[in-house]
Amino acid sequence: MKKINIKNRIMNFAPIFGLIALSMMFFVIGSLRNINVLFGLKAILNQSVVVAIVATGAIFIYSLGSFDISLGASVTVSALLGAITFNATNSILLMFLVCILVAVSIALFNSVLASIFNLPVFVTTIAMLSVLNAIVLLLISVNGTGSTVSISASSVQNLNTEWFKIATLMVFAGLCTFLFNFTRLGRMQKFIGGNPICARLTGISSKKISIISFALSGLGVGIGAFLLIVYAPTLTRNSASSVGMDVIIAIVFGGMPISGGARSKIYSAIVGSFSMTFLSQIMVMFNMNSGINQIVKAIIFILVVYLATSNQRRKILPR
Amino acid sequence: MKKNIKLIMCLLVSVSLLLTGCGDSNEADTVRIGVLVSDTTSAEALAFRNYFTEYIQNQFNVEFIYSDELVDSAQEISAFETFITNNVKAVISFSSFDRSAQIELAEKQGIFYAVATGTLTDEEYDKFKNYEYYVGAIGPSLEREFETGYDMANHYLDQGKSNFAIFGGAIPYYTDMHIYRAAGMLYAMVKAGGEGANYKGQATVEGIVGQIYADGSIDTGAVGDVEILGYVGGYDMDDAWFAMCTQMAQLPGLEVLLAVGNGSDFFGAAVQGSNVKIASVDAFASAYGEAMENGVLDYLAGKFSASIGPIFIATLRAVQGNPVRTDNNEALALSQGYWIATSFEEFERLYALDSSVEAPAYSKEMLSLLLNASYDEFSDFVSQYSYDQIRNLTQ
Repeated sequence: MKKINIKNRIMNFAPIFGLIALSMMFFVIGSLRNINVLFGLKAILNQSVVVAIVATGAIFIYSLGSFDISLGASVTVSALLGAITFNATNSILLMFLVCILVAVSIALFNSVLASIFNLPVFVTTIAMLSVLNAIVLLLISVNGTGSTVSISASSVQNLNTEWFKIATLMVFAGLCTFLFNFTRLGRMQKFIGGNPICARLTGISSKKISIISFALSGLGVGIGAFLLIVYAPTLTRNSASSVGMDVIIAIVFGGMPISGGARSKIYSAIVGSFSMTFLSQIMVMFNMNSGINQIVKAIIFILVVYLATSNQRRKILPR
Repeated sequence: MKKNIKLIMCLLVSVSLLLTGCGDSNEADTVRIGVLVSDTTSAEALAFRNYFTEYIQNQFNVEFIYSDELVDSAQEISAFETFITNNVKAVISFSSFDRSAQIELAEKQGIFYAVATGTLTDEEYDKFKNYEYYVGAIGPSLEREFETGYDMANHYLDQGKSNFAIFGGAIPYYTDMHIYRAAGMLYAMVKAGGEGANYKGQATVEGIVGQIYADGSIDTGAVGDVEILGYVGGYDMDDAWFAMCTQMAQLPGLEVLLAVGNGSDFFGAAVQGSNVKIASVDAFASAYGEAMENGVLDYLAGKFSASIGPIFIATLRAVQGNPVRTDNNEALALSQGYWIATSFEEFERLYALDSSVEAPAYSKEMLSLLLNASYDEFSDFVSQYSYDQIRNLTQ
């Protein structure tokens, strides 16, 4: 039994081992290929941090067994309105606050809509995705110059640093970790995700928890939107278009069970985001064509997910 | 299971080492060039990529590292950072979501940067022409794009056609080249429309261009005696969008569908069996030859795959410390045009000159002449882009 427990614990950390393995591969192959490793680490941070933060906030939704497909569009709308605000006020603080406010508002609207109509959250976020995409087009056509909304790169240059991004990620991840692992909120979320009927019977209000979860997710989206502007001050209708899918992949890649529940892990988002980026960087070093790259990524993704979930499958209680 | 994990990790590292060890022994001397692309699947994109990776890479000691398909400026920056990580010496860009950011990043990082199949605006060129790491741009100028649209529309106006539809491509995204092509089409219609003909009150080149920029689309209606029966823009490529394309292609009375980009891929099926002619601006690729042979495509203004050869040479020279600059130390700013085919036979004749990566229109021997050419000589070479001129160069 002790041996089995050790195995189970090791398997639970398979995504972390995967991240370690990928980073080792990056350094080994990079050294042999004579790449700029230090700059590579900077690039990996830049390419991961938005997804990592948005995905970390999204864990609060996914742990409930819910699903939000509109996160990417929400990032885009928040970023656009933030940039428009900056162009009107020349205030970075206001830009940041608008990003947060808009993202949280969108998230809460999603949650309230689901509650009012008693619909699965997934359904309302699909509808919201269409609405947000339309808003994106409207914002660009009304406020943009041509097909873009942009702010001057020099305005945010001081914030476009590794230390600012690392600090932002650490603060947000720390907050989420505390709430998820050390407060009643996290426990109730896992309970709802694991067995919503039993949770309801014990007096937990799933609607209240859902609203709080979406608010935290919105906070992550808002911060991600702000960092997106800092990184790429020129925004278009396609900005952050891949974030929604990347968040889902990152969370699953990081070992988060799609069904949510007790085995939800707050660190999945960060592990998954950085693992994906390391993998992408490694594939570039091999310089294979896009098709092969995608196939290899898919195989590795399936492998990691299999290892991470193989232990869970035997342990899930019937509902 | 622990053993399995260890085994898998060992295998991953071993495979990595093995694959890395298979690299070329001359890798240290190889010039790495990053290539930014916003399209990875179209015939044009594939033709350009094949020329670089299947011909140029085998003839010169270079390695091209391609980005994935880019959709926004953030991805452009990410791809650029990946190139820097891989110690590229230069970047050739086919993507223009944020051209300024690309050029600034290249300058900051000391990486040469070049624009392929396009040009900077006058304002951009004035800003960047003296940057040390800005190589320059070779591609159709906006004036050339305007002429392309004008010539295309005029081809049918001269035949007496008067009922048109326009596919505006990336006009809704304010893509300059598409706007200027469409403006050329409209200007040709204004000229053919009779006394007082105008497009929304505009009858000059500047006015028409400005109107399209203001609207982000093209309105249907009469341009004097010429009718614009339909318009579709954008690349939504969802069911609703394809339905609009089909509906436009099947409009009663429609004679010609003018596309600022690819037309046959989106409208070909819908016009099959009808008398509607499709005219496209794209590339000389075998797929479009088939479309012409099948009667789906009637007019092609296309780039040939080797047209990107000169910008490669300019980039290589910059890396080698022998940049192509004007007497005032300004970067390249050269325009190219299109090959035109109005029949399958003509397509075949032109395509024969650039249909193979083994024997492209611009061979190594031809490009090598540019390695030590002066700016004027380089410019003269690039300007001779027509089929006949290139044939003369090869003889």
